[in-house]
Amino acid sequence: MSPERWERLLREVVQIGGVRGAAVVNADDGLVVHEAMMDELSAGDVAALASAVVLRSAAMLRALGEPVTRMVTLTATAGTVVAVPGQHDLWLVAVTAPAAELGRLRLLLGDLVPELA
Amino acid sequence: MRVLEPWLAEPLDELVRESNARLALIMTSSGQVIGQHGFTRSLDVMAAAALGSGILATTAELARVVGSDGEFGAVVHRGQRHGVWLAGFDTPRGRWVALVVFGRHSTTGLVRLFFERFANRVRDVAPTPTSTREVLAEGFERELDASLRALFGSN
Repeated sequence: MSPERWERLLREVVQIGGVRGAAVVNADDGLVVHEAMMDELSAGDVAALASAVVLRSAAMLRALGEPVTRMVTLTATAGTVVAVPGQHDLWLVAVTAPAAELGRLRLLLGDLVPELA
Repeated sequence: MRVLEPWLAEPLDELVRESNARLALIMTSSGQVIGQHGFTRSLDVMAAAALGSGILATTAELARVVGSDGEFGAVVHRGQRHGVWLAGFDTPRGRWVALVVFGRHSTTGLVRLFFERFANRVRDVAPTPTSTREVLAEGFERELDASLRALFGSN
């Protein structure tokens, strides 16, 4: 996928109300492939921590007999992290503020999954 | 875990724990070991220290050749089962080197993140050296023995 396409894809995500940033992350090495961070968030830190979480979530689901992870959502008082897997160990990760439009974000991320191929 | 200086234990423990590292080695840029986690044989740690500091020195020269300002931030090797993170960082005691070996339960990004926190913490808590001791030939072997005992117990 071209950098322009990554850019367009992430721009769509960060335009949703309350989204603080989004990044395409390689879960295999925990590094950022492309990012669109809106505030003081460090994309590198988000990528490292999100990849550690999604890999464990996916492993747990496999252990429970569900081989395919469709979405990982972590909710905290300070906001939410939503991650959807693409191909080749790539994950699209979005970080939101507490009052974000989560329903719309989840729908959009679901729609964008095929584009991560 | 073994450290030559007690103040290093907590930052090193945090680095190892948070990054899921299998082995960690903290040394001076000349290869003198300051702390280690996971190594069981002094021969292994001395070899790793010599190779790690050598690799970093080589890449610093490579950085110079390609026109980079200073050394590369970090050198990362990824194998089938293990990865190695090797990076230099400044401390009040001079430039030190960290070598972190991690397995499949960690990632380069995770090690990078917690290495940066470790380096910042060491900068904050490392006591500034009060005087530089001259290492005399007759005292060198005794100091080396004491360092190895501290790093590997009574071996």
